[in-house]
Amino acid sequence: MTNAAGALVAEATTTGEAVPPRPRRSRARWAAVAFVAPLLVYLVVFYAFPLVQNVAMSVQRYDRGTFVSGGAPFVGLDIYREVIGQPKFWRIVGQTATFTLVSITFQYVIGLALAVFFHRSFKLSATLRAMFLVPWLLPVIVSATTWQWMMNPDNGAMNTLVGWFGIEPVWWLNAQHSLMSVTIANIWLGIPFNLVILYSGLQNIPTTLYEAAAIDGAGPWRRFWSITMPLLRPVTLVTLLLGLVYTIKVVDIIWIMTTGTGTSQTLATWSYGMAFGKGTSGVIQYSEASAVGSILLVIALAFGLIYVAVQRHEEG
Amino acid sequence: MPRAWWKTPLALVLTGIMLFPVYWMVNVSFTRRESIRKSQPFPFDFTVDHYRVVLHEQLPFLGTSLAVGVGTVALTLVIAAPAAFGLAKLRMPGGRALSFVLIVAQMIPAVVMALGFYSIYNRLGLLDTIPGLILADSTIAVPFAVMLFTAFMRGIPDELIEAAKLDGASHWRTFRSVVIPISRNSAITVALFAFLWAWSDFLFASTLDREGGPLRPITMGIYNYIGAQNQEWGPMMATAVVASIPTALLLILAQKYVAAGVTAGAVKD
Amino acid sequence: MATISARTAAGIGAVAAAGLLLTACSGGGGVATPGETGAASEGTTTAEITFWDPYPQREAGSDWDNLVKACAPEGSTITRTSAPQTDLFNQLTTAVKEGNAPDVVLLDNPLTPDAAASGLLATAEQAGIDTTGIDENLLGPGIVDGVTYGVPMGSNALALYYNKDILDAAGVDPASIKDWDSLNAAIEKVVASGSKGITFSGIAGEEGSFQFEPWFWGAGADFSDLASPEAISAGQLLSDWVGKGWAPRSALNDNQSASWDLFLTGEYGFAENGSWFAAAAADNEDFTVGMVPIPGKDGGLAPVPTGGEFAVAPLQSKDASDHYANAAAVIDCLVGGDNAAKTSETLGYLSANPEIRAAQVSSNDLWTPWVDIITGAQGRTTELGADYPAVSGKLSEAEQAALNAAGDAAAVETAFKDAAGS
Repeated sequence: MTNAAGALVAEATTTGEAVPPRPRRSRARWAAVAFVAPLLVYLVVFYAFPLVQNVAMSVQRYDRGTFVSGGAPFVGLDIYREVIGQPKFWRIVGQTATFTLVSITFQYVIGLALAVFFHRSFKLSATLRAMFLVPWLLPVIVSATTWQWMMNPDNGAMNTLVGWFGIEPVWWLNAQHSLMSVTIANIWLGIPFNLVILYSGLQNIPTTLYEAAAIDGAGPWRRFWSITMPLLRPVTLVTLLLGLVYTIKVVDIIWIMTTGTGTSQTLATWSYGMAFGKGTSGVIQYSEASAVGSILLVIALAFGLIYVAVQRHEEG
Repeated sequence: MPRAWWKTPLALVLTGIMLFPVYWMVNVSFTRRESIRKSQPFPFDFTVDHYRVVLHEQLPFLGTSLAVGVGTVALTLVIAAPAAFGLAKLRMPGGRALSFVLIVAQMIPAVVMALGFYSIYNRLGLLDTIPGLILADSTIAVPFAVMLFTAFMRGIPDELIEAAKLDGASHWRTFRSVVIPISRNSAITVALFAFLWAWSDFLFASTLDREGGPLRPITMGIYNYIGAQNQEWGPMMATAVVASIPTALLLILAQKYVAAGVTAGAVKD
Repeated sequence: MATISARTAAGIGAVAAAGLLLTACSGGGGVATPGETGAASEGTTTAEITFWDPYPQREAGSDWDNLVKACAPEGSTITRTSAPQTDLFNQLTTAVKEGNAPDVVLLDNPLTPDAAASGLLATAEQAGIDTTGIDENLLGPGIVDGVTYGVPMGSNALALYYNKDILDAAGVDPASIKDWDSLNAAIEKVVASGSKGITFSGIAGEEGSFQFEPWFWGAGADFSDLASPEAISAGQLLSDWVGKGWAPRSALNDNQSASWDLFLTGEYGFAENGSWFAAAAADNEDFTVGMVPIPGKDGGLAPVPTGGEFAVAPLQSKDASDHYANAAAVIDCLVGGDNAAKTSETLGYLSANPEIRAAQVSSNDLWTPWVDIITGAQGRTTELGADYPAVSGKLSEAEQAALNAAGDAAAVETAFKDAAGS
């Protein structure tokens, strides 16, 4: 969309203290604090409280009654032990991993292919590229329901489609296939995000590099692997990290399509069902929901650290 | 010979595939309820009733959504841009820790955030108000915006900033007259994301703005068609179509503007 | 390498500490904990009354909206807002916790015991809610440990709608449906004649359980043993329908509205659905719709779960008596005396009071076949009280697995045994 993500290119090369630190002037530092202050206040007011509340809820045993009246007993890590001890826990972790990894891989690959495709402008390219963002404008309840209908096992459009390739009709949303089906819908939903960021990343690669390579006789394939991919690496990193963070907590599209049943249950939908007493969860389970939420947080934290580490490594 | 003549038709086909679910939604929005689940590829059982209902009932919600979207964009930019400048160019102490916190911040489940807000808003009287909703919606976009801006501003050559300083400009002045104009494109990307996230929010709206009447966004207006045991998909789909039109136009406009601005605003390091 | 720098750690620590401080402050006070004081008789109605219901589809200006607003006492105005059932209950929980509860809430009946047990509701006595003359089975969900908490707004129930055109073509006499065998025979004939069989809602969660319970209870099962042979036979019945292609496989994800939309296509012979569609069914222009009660396994009427909302007054922490006075006035206006019939009619419910119900039936023939079903209906929470939602969740899990099994008897049995054991 813009070369803003080109900015992300820059990040990889300059993040942190890779550049030898300049003599620090305290005035500049105070100015820095002044510029960042609104953000700091904002973070403390809006994020710290919920974050701490989430953790606090997961170490106390809440039910609806104690949620209202207070006085839920402190139980340490018991709830984490119970949650992890459930037979379905590791199955759900596996499903979450599959959902997240398959989603971001396809979103990235398709997003990148489209970004490259749209990179050199052609007739209608700007308009069509904008059209690709339309799925993002739709309320998820509408797009998810549309997918549910298209995946109707008896007369849905998806079965007509696979029928053209000689494939037997699929029961898309049953326990066995639902993970695949919600992943397909989620990939569709995530392509615009990847396209926007990767496209702007491409915008920032100097065209002169391509021209020089072309003169040297490098074909398009070669140019892609030796110019585009290396220079796009920082953008790729950020896109994948953000994709991971956003995908791992996806609830709405899965919930609307399958209520998180069968293989489509992920940590996020499990937590959501318990937090609201919806689906097969039945009763509200604040503490268990918070515990699963915190586990998700730790997973994201781990990937955040990996990201920081990779970034440092890149900087040599 | 026009280079790559095949690209436009291929792009049309790809767009068609991508927008097929959107087509399906439009198809349903023109179909009578009795035939919605027949899964026909065209609205054979044609009606415009759903649109009549929607245009009659949903316009105030649409207005609210636009106001909330624009407000969220403004607030996000105001908080994120200076902070990013501080982080990227003024070497704010503890900046790396802050960047890390921003990643974590995006992981906090929205449910938890919404419950926390409810309690704060209830005390401050911000429940069921547009500013309250703008504040809440901005939390979806601010961490992302800071990350994006910071990354971009790091790419601004230090010489530019130094030159401004030599001219006697204060940090604020440098920020306003040098950094902001250069960052126009990233600002547009941030604005786009902030707008889209605010536009599609349902959770904050349903928790913090449930008694807002017409001051509720379209994502809640659509719930007028979801009863306890009865949902009317025709009007829901029609609402989605009606609501997407202004935003789609906005996207195409932004697209044109950005395309024009890329060369002017591009910064190479 | 990947070590997190000391500064990073310090930064995170600082943010967390600030948060703790905030939590500590907010825990300290400001909002008083809801108490159990106050009575409607000691309060006076206030200028603004808030009213929550689970009917978002009844928008401002609808008959229902007008009816509610007309119930504002002299000098008061009512602000009415809506949200889907479960959301409404959760919003109520948060609102009571924050001392910001509405004056009146219409709460889905199976949620009422949970709400009462969690300390969200004022008693009927406190809130001045009159429950005399209400049928015992319908009032049941509102009574917890002998204390009454609210009054039913009327009742709905489930039955089998049928497409008369299809049944005629298939040579099926709806009167022949007396038990599961005759029902299966009827569906089989319908399918043999080239139409589709039956739609129902098997979606995970309370809605699916609600639709499953007539079969579950009709087989003779009860909640004390989800793995009983009776329970399994109910699961097998529905599983077979899906397996034989008599019911759509999308029943697994269809809610009641979606299942009704399928019936409206005119392709299906039968539909299990609720009395809230009775008026729409009578008005249907595309084909003639009839209705038979859901049969028990070996004949007789299957007990259907009572449906519909309770009018309750949430517990208040400030000016409780005044809020209860508001609740008393509005609830009495809606379900007390002469208005009860009008309220039921507007909501498409049958009155919970047998006398008013009789009057309702005599003025609107639509309801005649529903009377026996309502009288024989069973409260979902009667057996278990506040523990119902958890068991309903397990029942739903079992049903989901049974539908997935598409007829496989061994898998259906495992499904119910797993649910009972979990």
